[in-house]
Formats: sequence, C-alpha cells, structure tokens
Amino acid sequence: MSIEETTRTEGGLSRKGLAPGKVGLVGAVVIGVSCVAPAYTLTAALGPTVAEVGVNLPAIFLVGFIPMLLVALGYRELNNSMPDSGTSFTWATRAFGPWVGWMGGWGLIAATIIVLSNLAAVAVDFFYLLLSQLLGDPAIADLTLNLPLNIATTLVFIALACYVSYRGMETTKTVQYVLVTFQLIVLGWFAVAAFIHVANGTAFDATGISAEWFNPFAVGSFSAFAAGVSLSIFIYWGWDVTLTMNEETRNPEKTPGRAGALTVIVIVVIYLTVALATLAYAGIGDGELGAGNPDNQGSIFAALAGPVMGPFAILMSMAVLSSSAASLQSTFVSPARTLLAMGHYTALPTSYGRISPQYKSPSVATVAAAVAAAGFYVFTRLVSENALWDTITALGLMICFYYGITALACVWYFRAQAFASGRNLVFKFLAPLLGGVILLVMFVKTAMDSMDPAYGSGSELFGIGMVFILGIGVILLGAVLMLVWARINPAFFRQEILTKGSAPKQ
Amino acid sequence: MRYVVGYTADARGHDAVCLAVALARRQEASLDLVLVTPEHSLFAGTYPPAKNFDGVLSDQMKEWMDEGLALVPADVTARGVVLRAESNAEGLMRAAADPDVALIVIGASSRGPGARFNVGNVARSLLHAAEVPVALAPKGYRRMEPVTRLTCAVGRRAGAGDVVEVAVSSARRRDLPLRLVSLVPLDAGRPDPDGAEDAANLRLREAAASIGGPVSVETAHGTSVEEAIESMEWDDGEILLVGSSRLAQHLRIFLGTTANKILRTLTIPMVVVPRSYTSPRTTPGQGAPTTEMDA
Repeated sequence: MSIEETTRTEGGLSRKGLAPGKVGLVGAVVIGVSCVAPAYTLTAALGPTVAEVGVNLPAIFLVGFIPMLLVALGYRELNNSMPDSGTSFTWATRAFGPWVGWMGGWGLIAATIIVLSNLAAVAVDFFYLLLSQLLGDPAIADLTLNLPLNIATTLVFIALACYVSYRGMETTKTVQYVLVTFQLIVLGWFAVAAFIHVANGTAFDATGISAEWFNPFAVGSFSAFAAGVSLSIFIYWGWDVTLTMNEETRNPEKTPGRAGALTVIVIVVIYLTVALATLAYAGIGDGELGAGNPDNQGSIFAALAGPVMGPFAILMSMAVLSSSAASLQSTFVSPARTLLAMGHYTALPTSYGRISPQYKSPSVATVAAAVAAAGFYVFTRLVSENALWDTITALGLMICFYYGITALACVWYFRAQAFASGRNLVFKFLAPLLGGVILLVMFVKTAMDSMDPAYGSGSELFGIGMVFILGIGVILLGAVLMLVWARINPAFFRQEILTKGSAPKQ
Repeated sequence: MRYVVGYTADARGHDAVCLAVALARRQEASLDLVLVTPEHSLFAGTYPPAKNFDGVLSDQMKEWMDEGLALVPADVTARGVVLRAESNAEGLMRAAADPDVALIVIGASSRGPGARFNVGNVARSLLHAAEVPVALAPKGYRRMEPVTRLTCAVGRRAGAGDVVEVAVSSARRRDLPLRLVSLVPLDAGRPDPDGAEDAANLRLREAAASIGGPVSVETAHGTSVEEAIESMEWDDGEILLVGSSRLAQHLRIFLGTTANKILRTLTIPMVVVPRSYTSPRTTPGQGAPTTEMDA
C-alpha cells in the first residue's frame, strides 16, 4: 500500500486503469439496458415520435439505431485511445482545437442537463400517479398539473438526486438487476394486455398492424423523417455504454461486442412490441387515449397504463418511477464529470474542478448541474404548453449536435491511421464519418424546422418555435459563455493546457 | 507500532492528524495517513461512459496526501496510504487489520454550529465495528504536544473493569497522571438499591491503589450527562478513555442522545476502547492484561 501511481501521457491527458475483470455478459447487458432505461424512454419519446411519423414509428425505431451504432463505434475508438473524464469535450478539443472542443463539451452538458430536467419531471408525474393509485384517489394524480406544486416537487427531486450523487452513493448491482428485470416484465405485460384488448374488441381505437409501418420510406416528408431519427437517437442513448467496457469485463475480447448486440436486441424487441401494442390499441388519432393526442405526448404510459392494464397499472407507475429516479441519480454524474474535466483543463473556472474531500465526488460541478437542470425546467415549464414534449424534442437535437461533433472528431483525430487496415477504415473512418454526417444533417434540418412556431407542442416565444429556443438557444448561450470565458482566462483557448493533435501513424 | 489516521483534506482531517501526532509522540508510533477512495461500480449506470475520472481523482489524492504529510512534524514518522473501499469506515478498518496497528484516529464530524463532537457516519460505523481502539479528535483540535493526563470514565455496565485495566496500564507505561471517574450515579438515574455505586467506587479505589503514579478518583454528579461532564475540570492535554460497550448501550438505548451529549460537551479527545480489548501481544499469565492501547 502506497500512494497510487499516476502517469502522464502525451498531450496532457492523465490516465489510470480500472479494477479488472468483474462484469460478465449478463451483467453488461443489465448495465446497457439500465442506461437506456426503456420504461422511462418509451413513456417520454413514444408520443413525440408518433406526432412526427405517425404509424411509421416502428420503422423509425429501427432506422434510428443505425446512426447511433455508427457513432458509438467511433466513440469506442476514442474512449480506448484517450480515456478521459471529459469525453466529447476532450476528444473534440484534441481533434479540432479548443473552440470546437468547448462547444462539444457544452453540447454534452446541455444534453444531460435537459434530460435531467425531463427525468425529474417524468418521475414527478408518476410519483403523483402512483400515490393516487395507492390511495385510490384519482384527484391526486392531477396534482402534477398544478404548476407551482409541480415545479416545487420537481425541484425537490432534482435536489435529492444531486445530494445522493454528491454523496457518491451508487445504485448497486442487485438493485440494478431488480430494476431492469422489473421494467422489462412490466413493459411486456403492458404490450400483452394491449393486444388482448385489441383481440377482444375492447381497445380504444383498434388499428390493424400493417407491414407498411416498418417502411421508413413511407414517412411523409424528410422533415418528419429527420425529426423522427433525432428522437430515436434519444431512445438508444445509453446503449453504447456496453461497447466502452473493456478491462472491466471478464472477457474483454468478446464481452463488450456481444453485450452490445444482445442489449440492442432486447431493446429493439421491447420497443417494437410496445410501439406496435400502443399503435394497435390506441391508434394515432387525437381522441382521449389516442397516441396522437397532444395531452398524451409528454408521457404516454401515464395516459394508457390505466385503461390497458387495469388495476395493475400501478406496476407501470412503479416501473417508470424507479427507472427515471435511478437514471436521474446516475445521470447527474455525467455533466458533473464533464464540468469537472473542463474546470480541470481551465476551460471553465477552476472551482468547477473541485473535488469534495469527504465524498471524493465533483462538488461545485454537481451542484452547478443541479442548478442548471432546475433552472432549465422552471423556464420550460413556465413558457411551454407541454414542457415534457418540447424538452425531449430539444434533447434529440442536442444529442445529434454533440454526437455529430464527437463522431467527426474521431474521423479527424485518427486521420493518419484511417487507411492503415481494413478495421481502421471501418471503425475509425467510415462508420463515424457516416454517423457524424447523418446526425449533423438531422440536426440542421430539425433546427431549421423547429423555428416554425407550430413545431413540437406548438409553443412559441417571440414568434419562434419553443424547441428552437430550447435547443439552439442553449447552444448559442454556450457560445456566448465561451467567448466571455476566453476573454477572462484565455489559457485553454491558446492551447496551453490541451493541445490539438492527432493519432500517430501506425 | 502504527496508528491509522483517517485523513481527509479538510479541517476534520487536520484535527485527526494533530491528535495522532500528540498520541504518537513519546510512544514512537508511526502514522499511516489513510485516504479512502470510493470504488466506482459499472452497475451505477453512469452515462455517457467517461473513463478516467479515477485518474483525476488519483491526482487529487496525491496532492491531498502531500498536504496531509506536510502537517506531520519531523520527529514523527508518517507515510501516506490510498486505498479503495466502499466506505471510509470500511477502508479504515481494512487499513487497521494489520496486527501492528494499535489505534485508529479520526476527526469527529463537524456538522452543526457549536457542536464540538457530533458523531458522523464514519465514527459511528467505526465505534460499532472496529477491533482496535478509536480516538476521536474534537472539532478544531490543533494541539500536537504529548498528552498530559488520562481520564477514564466508567459506569456499572459489563466491561467497565476492562477499560480501567487498559487505562491503568496505559498511564503507567506513559508515566501519566490518571483520573478515574465514576458515572454510576448517572447510569439510568434511578435509586441504587443493590449498592452498585459503592461497589463501583470501591473497584475504582482498588484500581487506584494498584497504580504507582499519581491517581485520583472522582464521581460525576449532575442531573444530566451534559451537566456532569461540564462540571468536571478538563486539562487541555487530557484524553478521555471510555469503553465502547458503554457507548454502544447508550447509542442504542438513547438513540445517540446521551453519547452525543458526552461527545458534544467534551472539548478534549476521547478514545473508545472495544469491549474486552486486549492487544495481540498480551503477555499470558499476568494479572492485569497489558495492552498496546496508547492513550
């Protein structure tokens, strides 16, 4: 026992190994599914996606995985070559220099901040729903519509998650196994129950499943297609965690790849089953329970679980609440670590690089993430007619932005190695290039479309669509903050700390 | 002989280092400054996956450890140890598993204004599970000079005899004045039909007689523990020795209020001796068990 060794590598990145050989295939799949959080994701994304692409939801769910896969392959290469807690920020800085790198980091932080506020809001909806189901009083479920109460409860949830994360408390292996199993069982139950209603003729708006639903080219317009894909990036967000596990797995050669494949099979099967069941049961109309009803867009299971599952709808409330609460807590870690890395490399005030002596977790950065998530939620809730819907759409936009930058950073950083082998050509060049271009095209298209006041939930500010304000507004805010900080402390922007570079020729 | 010091890079860690230095002087004990770093589980579900937070953390640990070692004066040997554990308490107990370790020194949690001692999570876990004595430094403890007097407080509970023996042998070995304090009148605060108070005081007086050096016997009086502790005189360089069975009882029965009262009222360090604690190097066949307890 002595002070642990730390080595400095070229380019200013510090590196240290993790405890080896712990996670097997099943464990890795559980981690993958838990990061995707299917119960939360479906309730949050199903409605907005139906609003864009209607019955072609299954097609978009399938197609949406492709850019995710392509980008994740690049992400894995970067993670192996430059392991760093700053991820996208650090990699984009190394590849494209400080300005693009800073914006990449900002995009990642903004995406996680937005998802934090959405997670907390969904958790609050289901918290009141669960309470009303437990007490048998439907009026309690409507408490979430009470604006001041809703905002207050959401802020409490964010504060609690921040505290738990700051204290360094983590979800344990056993809890994660239980949560994941429970989510999958309840989602399966929902689908089966919906199909039984369809078969018995008791469905709300029985709609016959057609092969056309799986045809991505049947989507009406490119706008709808782009919006659908940028939303489905969000539904697979989390899947790629399996690919980045190497030394942590029992068999580093095979486990990550197999776990990634198995996780995506599990996820796709559950998504398609639930999507088909929802469409077959509720249709895409805007009737009371219709998947196209704007009131149901923000959280589809809150509307459908009761009619579909009867008294067992309480299980769905528990599944979504536990899934979103667990994700809320674990997601806090991410913006906190990126902020910490940015503080560490002086791309932000160094106070963001502070670590709590007692809990050994980012201190200022964790609190900053909570304050930002709370501020974002309050703003959205006050301005938007349907905050959940608009935040998810803005989130899709933000993920496309920072993932696009990350993928292209991979292409550019490894440019000297790209044609050294067939493997390099695919993983370090073609896949990330294609994935990055697709995502940035989706980003630009969705951003332009979202200027329309009618976009998303139809909320607007000064005649500009709410989604545009939330998405592009946040990116512009980042650009302004970057310019201000560059004036105050230009060291990072003069490449005095992290230098632009590329992977050496192999 | 080594002392494990629960070090954190804040005022509380500073308290612990100062107390450890004060205790180690004249004992030729060396210090292990232990920084516990958390184990990050993949099952925590951190996303997006960011490797190397541990790298940043380990840089920080190194910096903190340098600061910690700089607090230790040149005449005391010290080294830094960083280890991974699920909790601070677990890490300290693992560091103390070595038979050469005779004491764990920690700073008591310093939450709440005015409260000198307010047992934190680490202290609470250690007090219930540690197999070696635990020394608690009060908030703001900065004294590094050797200990000047030893006070041992005992009640009527089982194990009181063990603590007295530990105190007697420690005081004799260190050539320190010893004060024995009976808390019997405060135990339960009820009439004393079986004469336990007399018996306990007799035992204390016997113990006092057996020791060669200066020793005094006192009985704590008062309507509350707080009052009794406050009414007594305490030297700056003094250390209070109590048995953990006593503390555990109080923590359990009074949900921490009584123990916290003693701790909060006290302005001097306290050493909690595990029930039936004897050093692995106890010489067999002797009357009173000698001990490596170094208070």
